[in-house]
Amino acid sequence: MKFGFIIALLITLSLACKDKEYIYGVNDVTILPNNAEKDKLKTNEQYLNIVYANMYQKALGPDKLVDLSNVINSLGDKQVAYEIIIAKMMGDPEIKLPSKKDMDADLGKFITETYNRFYVRQPTQAEKTFFVNFLKAHPNLTPEHIYFAFATSSEYYFY
Amino acid sequence: MGTIKRRTFIKRAALAAGSVIAAPYILPSGRLFATTNAPMADHVVFVLFAGGVRQQESVLQRYLADSQEIPIEGNILYNMLNGAAPELKIAYGTTLPGGQEGGQPISKILSSSIQQQGTLFPEVHYTRGGTGHYGGLSAGVSGHYGLTQGLRQRPLHPTIFEYARRFGGYKATDIWFVGNGISGSIPLLNYSAHPDYGSKYGANFIAPGITFGAEEYIKGFKIYHPDDELDPIHKMQAFLNQSFLLQSGALPNLGNTEAEREAIKDFIRKTFDKLEKQQVSFPPVTDNGDNVSIGFATEVMKYFKPKITVVNLSAVDVCHGNFTSYLKALHRADHGVGHLWNVIQNQIPEMSGKTAMIVMPEHGRNLDHNPITDENDWFSYDHSDLNSRRMFSQMIGPGIPAGLVIGSESNPIGDATDIVPTIADILGFKDDVLNTGLLDPLAMSLFDRI
Repeated sequence: MKFGFIIALLITLSLACKDKEYIYGVNDVTILPNNAEKDKLKTNEQYLNIVYANMYQKALGPDKLVDLSNVINSLGDKQVAYEIIIAKMMGDPEIKLPSKKDMDADLGKFITETYNRFYVRQPTQAEKTFFVNFLKAHPNLTPEHIYFAFATSSEYYFY
Repeated sequence: MGTIKRRTFIKRAALAAGSVIAAPYILPSGRLFATTNAPMADHVVFVLFAGGVRQQESVLQRYLADSQEIPIEGNILYNMLNGAAPELKIAYGTTLPGGQEGGQPISKILSSSIQQQGTLFPEVHYTRGGTGHYGGLSAGVSGHYGLTQGLRQRPLHPTIFEYARRFGGYKATDIWFVGNGISGSIPLLNYSAHPDYGSKYGANFIAPGITFGAEEYIKGFKIYHPDDELDPIHKMQAFLNQSFLLQSGALPNLGNTEAEREAIKDFIRKTFDKLEKQQVSFPPVTDNGDNVSIGFATEVMKYFKPKITVVNLSAVDVCHGNFTSYLKALHRADHGVGHLWNVIQNQIPEMSGKTAMIVMPEHGRNLDHNPITDENDWFSYDHSDLNSRRMFSQMIGPGIPAGLVIGSESNPIGDATDIVPTIADILGFKDDVLNTGLLDPLAMSLFDRI
């Protein structure tokens, strides 16, 4: 009787102490650069509204929007049209640009803020490294030149 | 056996020899040789004498006789056509102080008319589809009637611009389309939606009345130093575009190189300067949009010396509601065409004597008037009936017979789609264009109709 009780107890204990085996895995995920979802071309009006806000830190008025949109439509090469409009803005004293001094004080911070301002995303480490090195190699460049390049780049034309 | 003059023989022999010894190079089409027939000229200017022009007031020179039941005839297009001007009820000219409205005809520019110097097809047919402006313009530049084409859609068949760049190997700034505005889908005509052609073979487009009217927004735009500023800007752009282009894309690209883009900017900057100094070659009378476009077109030609320049006019479309203004616009369009040819011959040495010019409306106008009358109680005309399918074309330049008239009112010769193969013929790639099979079956070089 006693022997049978012990056997039963051992069997019960062995079953009760058995742990479940967990297997962990990772689902396949496609890794894309963080600009990959920008696949829609901005309309002239979208581009103008956004670039004006980026440059002047205020909204573009409706009359100016129509006039500027007409200028873009009057030229076949849109890149030329955009570059001319941005180059004109760059000569406007009302434009809000960071100072050269602020840029040089912390190039990494300037690059991050520029990516945020124009591309609404963080730069990758490679992008940040490229620009920091590029600006160090071209000490005469100012925020105006960098802003011009961003405002007339392909990623900025898409959203 | 036919006879041939010695001078003609030598000219043709020289053209043939020139075509044989032309240096070969690989074209965008993949073909080795630049031409399939001997070119007749180095440059072509095509004036879309558009807006809807009635035969009666243009080539038939009926003035008020076939429109207002007033028996006064005469030629108000005397730079383009032979014939004496009307002597009574002059309403198409300028207005002198204290004088009759429109009572002063504009002085003739050309000493001999384009008809005298070139070949006229007085009765050309607009064969298919409705006679709408965009359809007509599209047929003019694509050589194909867009029967299934939307009004806010690029031409479905390749344009002469695309054929020229593909088969002629021209760069983007060799090919220009000067529009008289941006309405009516005009900016869509510089390249087609055809999958094998498209933007990479397109023309540079400019609507100069808009571009140069936007002083507040672009005049005085900053010019960056090419080495110290532009070069690093382009390097930054290239870096920014590099990874993005692989993922998404870019703006539709006409294939202008960086140097060509800078040249376009330089042209715009310099033209603003000329405008300020009143040095733009506007026609002597520039009181409407058409002649503003003509003036700027001459500046495009002076700067770029394009292989193909297409200039679009449209002021005569006022005929829907004002016949007097229509006559004025017709007279000014003729003035503009005369000025254009005069500038090419006398102010652009690189194009003088080497340029062919073709003039053709996009379609005609109705036989019967609508109920709208103007300040002279003259009736207006729309465009929808068989009379609106009647039009003319004329050409002038090297190798084009002078004083020749092909066809007549009772014997129409020519089609609205003929200009594309004609330009290809002049520049030497006609066979390539014909071999695409993409032209309207009726389209034929005007030289093959002579």
